[in-house]
Parts: sequence; C-alpha cells; structure tokens
Amino acid sequence: MSRLAVLGFIFAASGLCATDPPVMRRLTHSQYNHTVHDLLGDQTNPANQFPQEDFVNGFRNQASAQSIPPLLEEAYSVAAEKLARNAFRGGDDGKLIPCRPRSVLDPECRTRFIREFGLKVLRRPLGAAEVARYSSLFAGEAKRAGKFTAGAQVVLEAMLQSPSFLFRTESGAGDRQYEIASRLSYFLWDSMPDEQLFASAAKSELGDAPGIERAVGRMLADPRARQSVDEFISQWLRFDRLLGAVKDRRQFPQYSPELAQSMIEETRRFIHDAVWNDRDFMQIYAADYGFLNGDLANLYQMPAPAGEFERVSYPADSDRAGILGQATFLALTSKPGETSPTARGLFVREQFLCQHVPDPPPGTNNNLPPVTQDKPQTNRDRLSAHATEPLCAGCHQLIDPIGFTLEKFDAIGARREKLQLKFYKKHDDDDEKTPGTIELELDTRGSVAGIRDSDISSPKQLGRILAQRPECQECVVRQLFRFGFGRRETSADRPVIQSALARFRDSQFRFKELMIALVSAYARN
Amino acid sequence: MPVIKLSRRRLLKGVATAIALPPLQAMFNPNGTLYAADVARGAAAARPETRFLLWFNGNGITERYWIPTATGTDFELTPCLAPLAPFRNDIHVITGLDNPAARLPGPGNDHHRSMSGLVSGSSFTGRGAGGPSIDQAIAAKIGGDSRFRSLQIGVSQESFGESIQRNLSWADRDRALPPEMIPHRMFDRIFGKRDEGWVTRKRSILDAVQQDAASLKSALGRQDQSRLDEHLSSIRDLERAITMLPPEYGKVEEPEEGGDMKDWPRIAKLQSDLLAHALITGQTRVASYMLTKCQGLSRFPWLGYTAARHHDYTHADGKAPGFDGPDGQRIMRDICRWHVEEFAYLVARLKATPEGDGNLLDRCCLLYIHEHAEANNHKNNGLAAIVAGHAGNLSTGRHSKMTGTMSDLYLTLADDVMGAKLDRFPTASRKLGGITGA
Repeated sequence: MSRLAVLGFIFAASGLCATDPPVMRRLTHSQYNHTVHDLLGDQTNPANQFPQEDFVNGFRNQASAQSIPPLLEEAYSVAAEKLARNAFRGGDDGKLIPCRPRSVLDPECRTRFIREFGLKVLRRPLGAAEVARYSSLFAGEAKRAGKFTAGAQVVLEAMLQSPSFLFRTESGAGDRQYEIASRLSYFLWDSMPDEQLFASAAKSELGDAPGIERAVGRMLADPRARQSVDEFISQWLRFDRLLGAVKDRRQFPQYSPELAQSMIEETRRFIHDAVWNDRDFMQIYAADYGFLNGDLANLYQMPAPAGEFERVSYPADSDRAGILGQATFLALTSKPGETSPTARGLFVREQFLCQHVPDPPPGTNNNLPPVTQDKPQTNRDRLSAHATEPLCAGCHQLIDPIGFTLEKFDAIGARREKLQLKFYKKHDDDDEKTPGTIELELDTRGSVAGIRDSDISSPKQLGRILAQRPECQECVVRQLFRFGFGRRETSADRPVIQSALARFRDSQFRFKELMIALVSAYARN
Repeated sequence: MPVIKLSRRRLLKGVATAIALPPLQAMFNPNGTLYAADVARGAAAARPETRFLLWFNGNGITERYWIPTATGTDFELTPCLAPLAPFRNDIHVITGLDNPAARLPGPGNDHHRSMSGLVSGSSFTGRGAGGPSIDQAIAAKIGGDSRFRSLQIGVSQESFGESIQRNLSWADRDRALPPEMIPHRMFDRIFGKRDEGWVTRKRSILDAVQQDAASLKSALGRQDQSRLDEHLSSIRDLERAITMLPPEYGKVEEPEEGGDMKDWPRIAKLQSDLLAHALITGQTRVASYMLTKCQGLSRFPWLGYTAARHHDYTHADGKAPGFDGPDGQRIMRDICRWHVEEFAYLVARLKATPEGDGNLLDRCCLLYIHEHAEANNHKNNGLAAIVAGHAGNLSTGRHSKMTGTMSDLYLTLADDVMGAKLDRFPTASRKLGGITGA
C-alpha cells in the first residue's frame, strides 16, 4: 500500500470510528408533559396525543431513537399553539411576565420577559442574537394585535417548537452549569429544573461532586422524584404491555381494564415503598407482601385490606413473592387465554438478568401442537420440542424452565392448582354455556440455567434466587443506567457501572443510593 | 379589489428559497380565509397528476383462498378477492414475487425481517427498516411540488409492537414516518381552515425556529447534526403544509371526534374518504395506508372472531383454532377477505371521484402488499400483490405469476408508471414485463 493510500485509509477509518455519540436528547413525551406542567401549570398532558414512542434497548427514551418526523413536528406545533394560547388566555394569569408593561411594545419589559422567561423555557440563558430574534417576533405580533401579551404568546409558541426546548443538548458546548441542571432534573424529576436549580447553575454551584450531591439530595426529597421512578418502572416492567393486553373473556370474566390498572397500581406502590422507605431493593423479587385493593385481594384469594392498596402479608405457605408473584408480571407475559412459560422466562432473562436471548432463526416453525379434547396437553408438554429439537433447545433451555416454575399462576395472575382446559363446541359460540372441561396436573419444576443449585418450583423460590444473584443486582444498575443515560452501556462505562454497583451494594441495596451514584456520574459525564 | 392568483408551484419556489416570500394575500379568496389559486385553475388545469398509493395489512394471507389458480384474463376471483369483483378490470393480481432481503441473517424475528425487506428491499437494522421505503423513494422524486410530500395513514390503533411493526413508511434507514390513525386529526391536517393572520403568524414562528436550529447546529457533533437536520426537514415540511392552505373544496365532511376507535371497518372507510379527498384536491401525490400492523394482534368482532388475535389465528397459538384445521383456514379466509374489502372500498371511492374527463382511479397506481405470503410459515417468497388503477397505462384485468422480486415490481411501477426515475432500488435487478400496456 502506498503511503498516500495508507493515509487515506487512516483518514477514512478515523472518520468512521470517530466516537461521536449522540448527546442530544429529545424530551420524552412524559418529560414534555411534566415540563409544560412545571413551566405553565398546564394540566392537559398534550404529549398524550403525540405519535407513540419506540422501545429501544428496553426503554422509550433512548437518544438514538429520538427523531422528529413530520407528524411529530405537526403535533408539537399544535400543542405549542394551544399551550401558548392557554397561558395568556386571561392576560397573564400565570404571572409569566416578570414586569408590568408600560406600552404595547415596551422594549424594556419585552426584553426582560424574553431573557427571564426564555431562560426557563430553553433551560439556559439566551444569547444576544436570540434575544434580538425573539424580540422582533414579539414586537411584530404585539403590534399587529395591539396587545403586549400577544407578543409574549407568540414568543412562547415559538420557543416551545425550538430545538433548544425540544432537545436537551448535552454537548458541553453550551453553558455547562445549565446543562448539568437539566441533566439532574430530567434524570431525577423527569422534568425541567426549578428556580433553585437554575439559581445554583447561575452561581456555578454545580461544578463539583459535593455541589452536585447537595442538589441531588434536595431533589430526591422532592415529590417530583416519584415521577422519574414512575417512568423508570413503567418502562422497565413494560406496563404498556398490560395496558394494551386483551384477555379471553370466557375464561377470565373478571378481567377488565380497571383490574389491569389495579395490578399496575400494586406494582407501582410496591416499588415506591421499597425506594422511598429505603428498603433492600433486591427484596422486590422476594418480598412476602403486596399492596392490594378489593379486586386484587379477590384475585389473589386473600382477605381484602381495610384501605385501598394497603400493605398485606402473604400467608407463609403462599407461593407468591415479589414482583414475580404479582399479577402485573404474570398477566403481561401471558397470552389472552393462556400463560406462556417462554415469554415469562424471556422477561426474567432480559429485564431482570440483563441477558439477551436471540430471536428464533429465520423460517422457524412457530406452531405449538394444538390442544384438543382428544389430546389435552399442558404447556410443558406442548413446549417439549423446545427441549428436544437441537435448533430450539440452545435458547429455550435458558428460558422455558424458568417459566415452568410459574405455571401455577394463570394468564391474569390467579392461583391455579391444576390446568383447566375448556373446550367450546364452536369458536365464539356464546350459547355454549357448558364447555367440556379437562383438568391436568401441573408440574412446576424448573431451573435457571447458568445458576447453580437453582432447582425451583415457584415464584417465591425464583425470587429468592434473583434477589441474591450478583448478575441480577448488577442488572438493576444497568437498567437504570440505560434509562438515565438514554443509551446502552458500553465497555467504556464499566467503571461507572461498577462504582454505582458498589455503592448500591454497600448501602444494602438502597435504590436512592443507586440513583445518586448514577445521576452524579451522568451529570459530570 | 383585483386578486392575483398564484400557482402553488410558484409559491413553493418562494418557500424553497426562504428569502423573498411572495405576498400572501394572493393566496386567499376575497373572504381572506381560503387558498384560492387552485379554484381558479379549475378544469383548465393541465392533465391531472398521477398518484401512488402503497397499501398494507399485516400477517400475510392464506394462499389457497387468496391466490387464483388461473392466470391471464380469465382468472377466478377467489373468496378473499371476491370484494374486488366490481373492479376486476381495474386490478392486476400479481403473484410469485420474492423478498430476498428477509432471508438474510440478522436481528429480529421473521416479521421484523420480512417487513423491512418488503418495504425497503433492505435488511432489518434491529430498530427499523434498512432504508427508505418504496413510497418514500417515489415521494422524494415526485412529491416535492405538493402540499404534503406524502401522507401516512393508519387504521388499527394497536399499542403492540416495535417501530418496524407499526410503521409502513420509512424516510430513510431507521427513520420511521408514523401514520395518522385518527380521522378527525387527519381531517384537520388536510382540510383544517385557517385564516390569513394565522398563516402569517405561524410562518414567522417557524422562521424563528429555523434560525434557532441553524445557530444550534454549529455546536453539535455529527450524529446530532443529522438529527437536527431531520428536525429541520420536518419544520420545512410543516411550513410548506401551512403555507399551502387547502383549496376551497366543500365536499368533505369533518369526521366526528371520538366514537369507537376499535371499530376499524368504520375508521378504515373514514380514512379512505379523506385520502380520496386529499388526492383529488392535489394535496399529495404519494400516500401509504396501513390497515393493520405487521404481526398485528387485532381482533375481529365485526367478523365474529374474538377468541384470539390475528397473529394467533395465523399460527395454532393458544386457544386459536389454528392454521391447520378447517376452522382456522376458514377464519383466516374471512379475515383476509375483510382486508380486501377495505381495499375495494378505497378503489370504489377513487373510481367514483370524477377528475378531468375520467375518474381519480384513472390517474392512480395502488399497490397492495403483505409482509408474508402464507401467513403460517412466514413465507416470504411467492408473495401476492395487487396493482390497481390506470395510471401510466397499467395493464389490468388479469392475474400474472411473475418471477422476480417485489423490488423489481417497485422499480417498474416507480419508473414506468410514476415517472420517478429511480433507476435502482435495493434487491431490484430488472423491470418486470407485463405491468403496463394492453
């Protein structure tokens, strides 16, 4: 190779390999809602009307998936128009304008509004050119409408569509202190910084580790911190799958959207209880209690607690424990009419152990043997090909045996001692009141391949194993990393993960300590 | 007061340069509310434009009830194709096409891989389609003069699925263009009336936003710059849609807000109506229509099938009667026929819309595709498609078995029918004979 060619190659290669990770993060839909609420007092959650966000790396907030296609742009435009109109509907009810204008165009007050309110909207001080630009936009509209607030309204509408509002630039090119403030607030609150955080940025108090920890400590004590944890768990545990699930009405007449909401509420309370009461977070896999309302108590066949979603201890002989024993997990990993040991095992591997199991190879026959009245079968029987076919067994041995241990809980999370197969004469024949029923014994023995002495047969036993496994502990760290940093971890992130894990472990697995460790690393990243 | 009529084309030129915008007054009728240039143009307009429409529903077909056995002009309308009986001479059933990109090793399940290969001729990336979808490749060439470069329309609002399963149109690799699934919002986009003050105001806002973006861009790394470019391009699309207001056109009824959003036959027809109106008023030349999701999990209460979901029915899954038995086959037949029924509704709508000395269908090229042939085994060769319409002298009234790829068909339609001059498309190696001409 000639020297020139070598140089050319190096040049090309360096261009290809240049580590240029995306550092711009679009506000997620939930961040958008929280931000306009904190900024304007809006309660309409406009982002609920936006096109759905995609799950990438297990989360809906991954930077690499955050583009703005034309349909989303239009939705932003519609939302901005409504928000700005509402904000100034009755003049300046929300006290967004920091001064009393003396004329329609009052240049002094106009500039003050753009500078002071603009700082909150764009989450950083505005440059002189920006101020001039918004000022002229303001003046044009205020003059046309003969109203100072009309100018303020058009400026707000424009700012809400600006990439500086829609994206959080984290390039370090802007004002570092303000970038840190935004990193902290969106990680911990899922929303914009508050006055105090802006003030800290202005005073450059966020430049070192102690300064950041002080801010983090205050922020974790704020109720808004629950918003962020809520978002994390609803994505990590895929609440969306349960909210979008349908269940076979003939088999599960008690299932309803309200019951699904109750299931999610239990899981949410359960996790929040662990986080905010400084419990051992790993006990979310093994805890022998839940938070039930009447419907859930009924589903779990337990006496209803006095109050809605009160903490209830499971009887000692119960197989239920932790999130693996909760209806949320059991239902969202099931099909409409039947459980899926494969889906349950896969969920445990991917979400709780951070182990990726590949998709089936192209052209795989996905048909399970049909269950007929002549040949009734349990899931274990039907999935036997997964264990014997070499092409299937490699992966399915990792997942199916985990799912088998949960088979005594049906597709909506109710306990069953035996598998009841119901056969209707014709599909959807509602007149058929007495289906033929066959009962089969359930064998719930299983194991977690790769973990020694993991022969188990219930969610409680599975939860105990997960709670004490280092890979499961590290997985909590990695999931929160992905959520907080908006990307999958790389080998370069190893030190951050390890030190966060150490702090998490040393604190007896307090989730707040994990949040502090990761958000501090993120703020200074 | 004399009103100068401006053509949309001329206006666009102004937007493109973004420096000297033409006076807006000329775009409004004397009430100052509506875009009036097209009204003046009226019937004197030159030969109407051709339009391209990509139609999709998920989960493939059941071949024995869908694919006619006879080829040529004497083919029989199979149970699934029966709804197209009145339009027999407006369609060309094409079978035997291949989707080779679906079989390349890579991430994803069979549906992901098939969908990416189907729409873009490129392999699934793990997140999305491997390149622009055919409708977007065509829109990039011929969509530039329209109010909307292209429109994406959807029907089934399933929350299920990843990006590749929920989107039919892809601007580029991993860049999904989500469909609008809510009729009243669709209506507002296409026919929402605005006054002049609103337009002026919106334009000044977007102008400021674009300047913001430009000043931000210089501070960013390469990947972020390209994301910001996407944003900018979306802003420009929006600006164009705002500047080119809908023509004065009283024929379209605003769909009610709300109603049963799971009643997909109703939504499908509302969306088809709106699409026909959008096409006849020249607001776009390219559209995609996603009736149901790839690997979709819809239920079919209007067909009486609620025990399982579409994808379950394609496989003998759970409590679904399953693929093998006659029950399962019959259910699949009815589902596939419903899909074709909705397609036939759109064809009927286009044919009933007069344009020039003919009807809208005369200047349309519709292409109906699925991610699989036989749904049960995820078959991605021997695919079945329907071409409908008479744009570019399309050959119709026949069934042809062809050897080639789906992309070969795309290339033929794009270049020979739509005049898009793509010259190439991934996995296309040649043009297919028998697509145009008598």
